[in-house]
Amino acid sequence: MESITRRELLKRTAALAVGSSLLLSRPVTAWAQQKDATSKVVLIRNQKLFANGASPDPEVCAAMLDEAVRTLTGQADAKAAWASIIHPNDIVGIKTNEWNSFPTPPELNALIKARVLATGVGEENVSVDDRGVKTNPVFRRATALINVRPMRTHAWSGVGSLLKNYIMFAEKPSDYHDDSCAPLATLQELPAVKGKTRLHILALLAPQFHHLAANTVTEEFTWKYSGLAVGFDPVAVDSVGLRIIEGKRRDYFGEDRPLNPPAKHIALADTRYHLGTSDPSKIQLVKLGWDESSYV
Amino acid sequence: MRNVYLFFFLLCGSGPLAFIHAQKINLMKYFPEQYQSYRADQWLDFEGEALYDYINGGAELYLSYGLKGMTGCKYNGDGLPQVTVEIYEMTSSKNAFGVYTQSRDREEYDYGQGSQRYDDFILFWKDRYFVIITAQKATPESRDALLHLAALAEEAIPGEGEIPALVAELPKEGLVPGGYLYFHHYIWLNAYLFIADYNIAGISDQTDALLAKYGEADARCYLLLVQYPNPEEALKAGEEMRKGLAPELSADTASIRLEDGSWFTLGVQGNKLAAIFNGQTREQVENLYQSIYK
Repeated sequence: MESITRRELLKRTAALAVGSSLLLSRPVTAWAQQKDATSKVVLIRNQKLFANGASPDPEVCAAMLDEAVRTLTGQADAKAAWASIIHPNDIVGIKTNEWNSFPTPPELNALIKARVLATGVGEENVSVDDRGVKTNPVFRRATALINVRPMRTHAWSGVGSLLKNYIMFAEKPSDYHDDSCAPLATLQELPAVKGKTRLHILALLAPQFHHLAANTVTEEFTWKYSGLAVGFDPVAVDSVGLRIIEGKRRDYFGEDRPLNPPAKHIALADTRYHLGTSDPSKIQLVKLGWDESSYV
Repeated sequence: MRNVYLFFFLLCGSGPLAFIHAQKINLMKYFPEQYQSYRADQWLDFEGEALYDYINGGAELYLSYGLKGMTGCKYNGDGLPQVTVEIYEMTSSKNAFGVYTQSRDREEYDYGQGSQRYDDFILFWKDRYFVIITAQKATPESRDALLHLAALAEEAIPGEGEIPALVAELPKEGLVPGGYLYFHHYIWLNAYLFIADYNIAGISDQTDALLAKYGEADARCYLLLVQYPNPEEALKAGEEMRKGLAPELSADTASIRLEDGSWFTLGVQGNKLAAIFNGQTREQVENLYQSIYK
């Protein structure tokens, strides 16, 4: 595997004639390989999502998700869009994230499950789970997976990402921690996962852009971004989410404050493991709704 | 301007993380079963890698600093946000200090030997312990509990720990308050800026390393200062860094200007390596370098 130093990035950046200081704190772009293929990511935001208080408004959230999935699939309406992703005979595992301090909002889990059921999937053939996925009977029989989690900073992987969310499928999750979780993309090769994911949903409702101790979440370091990012390429969706987190950090700190450690697993999912696209210039980003301080 | 500009051709690599099997600690005897409307509902006790069960990958931060174990307690009350006490016992006070340097945004000393206080959490280090007290939500009741439990935790740890001696060698002028990390795992090399995606500096549990910020945000440079067990290892790491970051450097070239216009310097003296990144001028990096050894 190729190793990269700051100097190598500087040289590449100079060759590309792109603003170097930004790239060096966020090496995703400079690491990314040049590809012809693009990955589509739909980012939708709604300023009214938290109009009623601390919890997201389920109706607003539902409208956002439906419109994002409709746009992603290019279907005429939301029903057709979901039907193009999930089929009535599918067995569907919705891989959520239940970490106590910063879980996938339960409203979002419930909404996704409702949309899956609406496609005709039987109640007995859909399940929402996180830490129990290896033993959950639905997940063990699953023909389709939907990957959903909130984005947050992480003390070892840089960010908690869609790529990281599948670590609970691993026999021993810590096997994927080496080099600040560099090999997370290889989780997609696990038999329980490979080829099954129909949709990736990154919850950017109220992301965490900074932390102090490893496992703390404080309101000070979260903000109501009121967004969802969806796509078929987890690397592309994570790459968009990462740029948003980095943008907020620049805004909050008034300087470029790199994630510690860098979220290298997203770039490496592209350049080393060829799972998807991390290069922003190769991502077809469709932005819908509220655009103020979107950071992308 | 310097004694040596290194350059041996030896390979280097990172050693395994230091890990000493946990010994039981009993700090929790100092914590009450009941405080105001809060009751102690769940006592926590994790050793080493079992911490994965509690905080997943976040445990790696503590393991990279030689975690021995964690004890703690979750406090609940009807209609009250949960308050959690976590006391991490590290293998040494310098490791507890290291975890703290990863966890601070500013200089603050309300608790222990350095602390950070927000409405919904307090953290501090003292002796070989790193303490975190969090509330699920900031309310008058949870804030009161946070303050009370933090005071109890501080009282429960009688001793004080030493700060790594290398810290005293950081030049004071221009150092951003609270703006340095102490570590001995290579992952943290990239904490402030991207240096390399591998262990280019030969960081291991046998080295002490500091990464420090100097200057204002719009003209910031970064000092990496590493102390190795012996001069040979310092030279080996220096050569690895020279090859990867600035092969033009030689005994006659104290610093170089890089493709982004910034200045860089690197040198080894005795068992210490210093590298300065992102200098705005040649004088800035060379003066900072020289001030390390004054």
